Amino acid sequence: MNRSTRNAISLVAVGVFVLVVSLLLIAMVGSSIPKALSSFLRGIVGSTYSIGEVLVRATPLILAALGVSVGFRTGFLNIGAEGQIYLGAIAVTWLGMTFPNLPPVLMITFALILGFLAGGFWSVVPGILKAKFGLSEIINTIMLNYIAINLVGILVRTSLKDPTYPYPMSPILPESTYFPMLLLPTRLHAGLILALVCAALVYLLMFRTSTGFCMRAVGLNKRASICSGISVTGHVVLSSLISGGLAGLAGVSEIAGLHHRLIEGISPSYGYLAIVVSLLGKNHPFLIILSALGIAALQVGSMAMQRSSGVPTSIASIIMGLLVIMILARKQLFGCKEE
Amino acid sequence: MEIFSLTLITTFLAATVRMATPIALAGLGETISERAGISNLGVEAIMLSGSYFSFWAMFQYSNPLFGLLFGILGGIAVSLLHAWLSIYCKADQTIAGLALNFLILGLTSFLFLMQFGQTTTLPSIQTIGRMEIPLLSKIPVIGQAFFNQDPFVYMLLLFVVLILVLFYKTEWGVILKAVGENPRSADTAGLNVKKVRYTAAIANGLLGGLGGAYLSTVKLGFFQENLTSGKGYIALVAVILGRRNPVGVLAAALVIGSAEALQIRLQTLGSNIPSQLFAMFPYLVTILVLLFSIGKSHDPAALGVPYERDKR
Repeated sequence: MNRSTRNAISLVAVGVFVLVVSLLLIAMVGSSIPKALSSFLRGIVGSTYSIGEVLVRATPLILAALGVSVGFRTGFLNIGAEGQIYLGAIAVTWLGMTFPNLPPVLMITFALILGFLAGGFWSVVPGILKAKFGLSEIINTIMLNYIAINLVGILVRTSLKDPTYPYPMSPILPESTYFPMLLLPTRLHAGLILALVCAALVYLLMFRTSTGFCMRAVGLNKRASICSGISVTGHVVLSSLISGGLAGLAGVSEIAGLHHRLIEGISPSYGYLAIVVSLLGKNHPFLIILSALGIAALQVGSMAMQRSSGVPTSIASIIMGLLVIMILARKQLFGCKEE
Repeated sequence: MEIFSLTLITTFLAATVRMATPIALAGLGETISERAGISNLGVEAIMLSGSYFSFWAMFQYSNPLFGLLFGILGGIAVSLLHAWLSIYCKADQTIAGLALNFLILGLTSFLFLMQFGQTTTLPSIQTIGRMEIPLLSKIPVIGQAFFNQDPFVYMLLLFVVLILVLFYKTEWGVILKAVGENPRSADTAGLNVKKVRYTAAIANGLLGGLGGAYLSTVKLGFFQENLTSGKGYIALVAVILGRRNPVGVLAAALVIGSAEALQIRLQTLGSNIPSQLFAMFPYLVTILVLLFSIGKSHDPAALGVPYERDKR
């Protein structure tokens, strides 16, 4: 058996295994499997609204996962996309509240730049600590997640708080910060276009420029890179900056396209999901779009399944965890070596 | 304001110890695992599994010993799965841990909903109560805080001493360190690297499972979706802050616990200072400590690296 057929067989086996487990779980709750599956599918593609919901959910996942993938390529394991999303969200909220009279074009441009820089800053710090001093980025990015989440908590209670409202949230931002809507009456907004453009840009950067080549080289073999005169430190720092910046854009997009105000908990673990998305998409920008759509569909579909057949939404989390575990175990179980 | 009165300090210390206990237990487990070279980001999953299964057993049998046993077993099941992925499958340990966090988060809430359904009143259990230790609890200030607590706190203190002896006074500690620093040399010297790593993983599951069990059976008396809500990640921070030393990890957990206790105290006092400021504090301290320790790496050399015997 040659390598590619073995590879294909193992992927099919993983898919079948996860599917069988999911069906067993549905049967365990006592729901009818055909009914559950049809409500799952209707939840994803049943109406314009449901398609819009999947795309709305996929948008921050694509952006943050693109960021994670750029970091992965140089060996920078960015667990901190969650915090970087919040930093982007803080940036756009601050901009909208401080300069409410900017014209929309300038406002959106500044919001994107500022959000990118804020997210990038949150990630370049652990990047520098890793590249220059060898400190583990994993623990640092996790800690920065908690600092960012608490920072949002403080800001929506103090300087960014809506004074007319008793709850911890910022005021509604001026309309100049809003992303255009794409498909009314769904909630789909131009953040999706931003995500697709970023995917194309990341592809060009990673596979069509010498900087991207150097980044990938650093990730594949540090020693060989040093020997051929590629700066390991510089490229790890650069990739960490871009990595956090893209996650920051996800935060901007969530505020400017969806919530229009800063509240706590705008990211239901998008930052951690992004790592799964990036892994399933093999750190390739175009595959990431597909895997983000898949994960978003899984989540939206499972919500519909809970409404109509009573299967808990937590099944989505089980499927995701199982999928990643099986993919990690695949190489050893089926004896196929990574390319 | 009588914030500094003696009784208040004692109750504050007692609250700190209670907040720190689950983090310290899980942190000790992770310390053992990391010393053997396995970095498990799935502490969250270990704790969540421990808290669910101990709650389940307590609910079924209303026997604290069963609760303890199932909590430990739930933790070990998760850590063994992680060990299998890291050792046998040679997978990326960070990603494996993250995947386990998703899997167990889903699995525990799925099982919980399946068993108890969607109810307005949470099914609850009798929490494990305090046991006052005579004499020791009469020590001023710290006596009540450390020696009038639930059995988990005493177990924690016992484990700290036990692991301290194990790490620094027994051959086992040397073996553990050898496997974490240089598995090839350890293998050449005739040590069974896999066996040591699996054993360390079991210890991690045991302690993490206990930490999780503490949350459902002592602190809360019920279970709910995502009960641990990040405690596992905080335990990882305690490991780093405590520099993989059992006493250090306990001290780090106490620092984190005191920040939490302070947060709750401020909320009940109705203070205007956002409590998040204090929640942030332990992480800022940890980052500062890391910055000051630049250049003196304390990480085991083979941390997170799968050991491949037949590789050059």
